Amino acid sequence: MDKSRRKFLSTAAAATATATMMATTGHTSDRLGHNPDEMFSVLVDSTACIGCRKCEYACNKTHELADHPPAYFEDQTQLQLGRRPQHDAFTVVNAYEDKGAKEGEAYVKVQCMHCNDPACVSACLVGALTKESHGPVMYDTWKCMGCRYCLVACPFQIPAYEYHDVLTPRVRKCTFCTERLHEGKKPACVEICPNEALVFGTRKEMLDIAYGRISANPQRYQDHVYGEYEIGGTSWLYLARADFQTAGLPLLDNQSPAEITENIQHGLFKSFLPPLALYGLLGLIMHTSGQREKSEESTDA
Amino acid sequence: MKTILLGLLTLMFIVGSMSNVNSHEHPLRHLDCSECHTCDRPTAKEPCLIACPRIAAAHSTSKHSLKEAPDSMVLNTLENLYGPVAFNHKQHAEMSEMGFDCATCHHYSPAGEIPSCNECHPAEGISVNLSQPNLKGAYHRQCLGCHREWNHETKCIVCHEPERFTGAEDVVQDPTDILGISHPVITVPTKKVYDTPYDKGPKVTFYHNEHVDLFDLKCVDCHQEENCGYCHHLGKTTPVVKTMEEVHSICNDCHLEDKCSKCHGYEEKPPFTHDVSGWHLSKYHTDLECRNCHPTGKRISTMNGDCTNCHAGWNQSNFRHSVVGLQLDETHLEFECEDCHADLHYHQTPTCDNCHDDDHNYKKEPPGERL
Repeated sequence: MDKSRRKFLSTAAAATATATMMATTGHTSDRLGHNPDEMFSVLVDSTACIGCRKCEYACNKTHELADHPPAYFEDQTQLQLGRRPQHDAFTVVNAYEDKGAKEGEAYVKVQCMHCNDPACVSACLVGALTKESHGPVMYDTWKCMGCRYCLVACPFQIPAYEYHDVLTPRVRKCTFCTERLHEGKKPACVEICPNEALVFGTRKEMLDIAYGRISANPQRYQDHVYGEYEIGGTSWLYLARADFQTAGLPLLDNQSPAEITENIQHGLFKSFLPPLALYGLLGLIMHTSGQREKSEESTDA
Repeated sequence: MKTILLGLLTLMFIVGSMSNVNSHEHPLRHLDCSECHTCDRPTAKEPCLIACPRIAAAHSTSKHSLKEAPDSMVLNTLENLYGPVAFNHKQHAEMSEMGFDCATCHHYSPAGEIPSCNECHPAEGISVNLSQPNLKGAYHRQCLGCHREWNHETKCIVCHEPERFTGAEDVVQDPTDILGISHPVITVPTKKVYDTPYDKGPKVTFYHNEHVDLFDLKCVDCHQEENCGYCHHLGKTTPVVKTMEEVHSICNDCHLEDKCSKCHGYEEKPPFTHDVSGWHLSKYHTDLECRNCHPTGKRISTMNGDCTNCHAGWNQSNFRHSVVGLQLDETHLEFECEDCHADLHYHQTPTCDNCHDDDHNYKKEPPGERL
């Protein structure tokens, strides 16, 4: 009797534990406590991009960046220059070889990927960069001290620095058009894209669309959504026909660099043990050397 | 006894209703009903159809003729950075017809009238169904899908008037130029004379205008699979030259029974006149389309020349005989048509022997006054 009761209790406990686990997995939150499924996200379908550079134009206009005439954005030779985002251009479109494409090349838009667990946020000493729960990685000019660690930390080499501005230089990068998101609008680049190569919605929706497109057109796409797992996942997701590396997207580990470095550091400094040990060791050395000096003095005397 | 009767009735009802369902065999039974219908129980009167069901079979249910469609239209609902697009629907439709059909662009259209793009692709806002692009995306994907492939051209000003965005001057818009820009003019020929190696008639005269305007052939009837992609295929630099067999097979669709000399000759052949059929078109028939009298068959069907083929309702009381050049005298006005025109063959000389002696001659003694 007693035995069976104990058995019952243990089964019940196991069931409760499983239920709790299932409940927690239902609301997945990442290392930063955000739910990536619910974050805003943009799917970049590089096979649909026609290289019209209107996203560059819209971004430029919205954020009042470099003062280029409209004709500049019609110049398609710019696509061949392998440009990178600058302090005055938060997004650029580059052409890459793609033998399967109609033009023999594919166009890939480059901008901040708004990582789920951003290395720049982790590297920032003063908390000037933050990952918002709804997706954007935001920058606060007033907190920034100009160390540019974020520039070094970013695996996509996105943040740019206003080196030309001696007194009030800022780190500049894509803001995910946060102001527009608050107004219920799409990011400017997504809104202007004529071919809907950019799609905006929640990250879960974007992944569903991405895999829907892959399964509908398996010959058109790599069977992989770039950014789903790379460095812990990104808010901007990419589809491509050719290798993602050919398309200029770096080959990255699934674990975020922020997690790796923070684990090492936090492990080292757990419970303040390493400093205590260090100072203890130093104290011991001081103590023994002091004793030795004393004994030497006494022998001298 | 009552229960047995009741049971029988119920059984009959069930069987009856089942057979009722089976009697209306739906052509797309293999599909889930909700793919096309919004309500649970669609009826013939109220089918509650979804505007654009995304099933492969959707577009095969309706066929439309080019004559129903507009020749051109101005796409201006989304004017913004760029001006409107002057879209030549007719040219695109003719080209599409040679490749596939209207469904090349009008995909997922249900039977009946083709819905306009914005019925499924909303012009504004974040689209509810994200895999269905907004109007802007839908337009651009539809156009660029082909234009990208054919000339590797993605410049906005190929279709849009440019001045609004770049301030550049408008490119010359020549209405005969199919793109309005950069494409050589494609002219529809009137007559083509081919030199062939055939000894007994080296010249083939082909009247393109007659085949299109008179004989009512559609482009696709001869130019099969000759849409834009025929010239603009990736890697293809020159148009393919047809072999002799291919050329003959096109003409043989209609001219299989004709002799070689129908097309081949030592000299150019004159244009078509109806006299070659032996039946001269009087002034009453010159304005008619060929298809008014020869309605069936791709090849113009031969007719026996009888008026009753078209004018079955004529009789002696409602036909004004003077129009054929003979005013009937009072005596003859009384007769029925078939009294003189034996077996109603009006193209033959009327017979007089129904009433007159054998030696009576129609030509010498006509039944009235010649006009």
